[in-house]
Parts: sequence; C-alpha cells; structure tokens
Amino acid sequence: MNNYTIIDKAALAVSSAAMLVGIVVLGVVETLAGSPHSPAPVTNDAGEVIATPLISANIRTGFVLAGVLVLLLWAVYRVAAVRPTDDSTETTPVSAD
Amino acid sequence: MATNTTDRISNGLDVSSAFSYDVSGVLPAYWLAMLRVITGWWFFHAGVTKLLESGLSYSYGPMYLQGMDGTVLGPLPVWMGNNLAWLIEPGVPLGETLIGLGLMAGVLVRLASVFGVFFMALFWVGNAGFTNGVVNSDLMGLLLFITMAVLATGRYYGLDAVIEQLSVVERHPRLKYLLG
Repeated sequence: MNNYTIIDKAALAVSSAAMLVGIVVLGVVETLAGSPHSPAPVTNDAGEVIATPLISANIRTGFVLAGVLVLLLWAVYRVAAVRPTDDSTETTPVSAD
Repeated sequence: MATNTTDRISNGLDVSSAFSYDVSGVLPAYWLAMLRVITGWWFFHAGVTKLLESGLSYSYGPMYLQGMDGTVLGPLPVWMGNNLAWLIEPGVPLGETLIGLGLMAGVLVRLASVFGVFFMALFWVGNAGFTNGVVNSDLMGLLLFITMAVLATGRYYGLDAVIEQLSVVERHPRLKYLLG
C-alpha cells in the first residue's frame, strides 16, 4: 500500500466497512435482538409468519453489495487514473523446492 | 510457475505487484491454483450443463430475474428479465461456461472473476437463502471470485503467467488489469 493515495485508502476503508457492517455488525445486532437470529422470517407448520427479523435482509445485502460496488468502482478508477509502469519490474521464477 | 516480483516502482502503479500475493513457496501457489481450478469447474459445470440441456435458450434465466421483486437491487433485475431476455437466455450458460474455462485455464482470470462476482451477486440476492444467516454458500462464492481477482491466481500454474510475458502485453501494460 506504499503507493496508495488517500483516495485508494478511503475506497478500501469504505468498502470493507460496508461489508463488515452488513455481515458482522448487523449480524450481532440481530443475534442479540432475539429470534429469528437470521434475516429470514420464522413460520409455523401452517406456513404463517410468526416472527420477522429485526433487520431486513435487504438492508444487510444492500450494505454488502454497496461494499462490493465501491471495490469495483475503485478498480475502474485505478485502471483509468493510474498509469502502469510495469516496464520497470523484474519478474524472476522461483524454484519449487 | 510461481513468481517472485522485485519491484522498482518509479512513478505510478506496478501492475504486477499491485494485485499479487507474495507467494514465495510452492504450497501457497499450489493451493491458489487449486482454488482457481475448482471454482472454475463449479461455473463451467453449471454453464455447460445448461448449454447441453437448453442450448442458447436458457429461458429460466429471465424468469429468475423477473422473480427478483422487492430485493435490494430494486427494479433492475426485473427490468433485465423483462427486457433483456434475448441477452440473458444465451448469456447465462455462455457466461458461466466462459468464466469457468477462464479460471480453469488461468486465462483472463481477473476479467472472468469480475463477471463471476456479478453472477454471484445476483444469485446471492435472488436465492435469498438466509435461513442460517447472510453468510451462505452464495456469498462465499462471491467472495471466492473477489479473492481470485485480488490474488491474481491466474499467475500460479495458469496461462496468464505466460500471456503476461507476451510482447503485446509489454506494449500495453494496462492489459494486466484483466490478466493475472
């Protein structure tokens, strides 16, 4: 990350934060809130919904996909804005010992 | 086939090192290649069986998207199902097959992985199998494709390692964003 700018670091931070909020943070909240402990409604044998999740699956999947989208947009930005300098790279094979 | 990259970054981005994991031993390289090939087979099998059974007319694809009403993706998948059936019916089996082939052979792995993320995002949201939480097999598949792209797994026992040495790639180093 030595040559990463503040834009790069911010994009990675926002992306990882969004994914972790959607998966872990809201998962903890939902677990502590009681049944159901997952973002799917609980039904009885008749198929009637007897308990709904505190946090909608749409909110949690939205956070995660937003994180993925930020990652994708950051990659596009890197392709468009950062000039490759690969001609200054030496690549040497490593023996498999 | 594993590579150890010595960098002399002068100005800008060294594409080889930016996406690579410092794999100095044979075991990590072997395992990244294994993950890549198995992930590739997963998609190749899904795609080629659709091709064998439905050809280029995979009508379940648009139907699946039309059923994705009320998801976090809003009206987009339903609109795609209603208006892009001409693209989705051949696109799903062909896309899965090509993504799988790319990963198994290690060709254009990063490009294939981006499309894999797109497919898995739709599967994860559309299947909505959240009974045991949001971290399910669909999300793990999505994360696998991101891993394939970030770690440049095509360089380990994959043809991207050879392709990256071609003169056309040397002349157009931005191509390395799609390889590796």
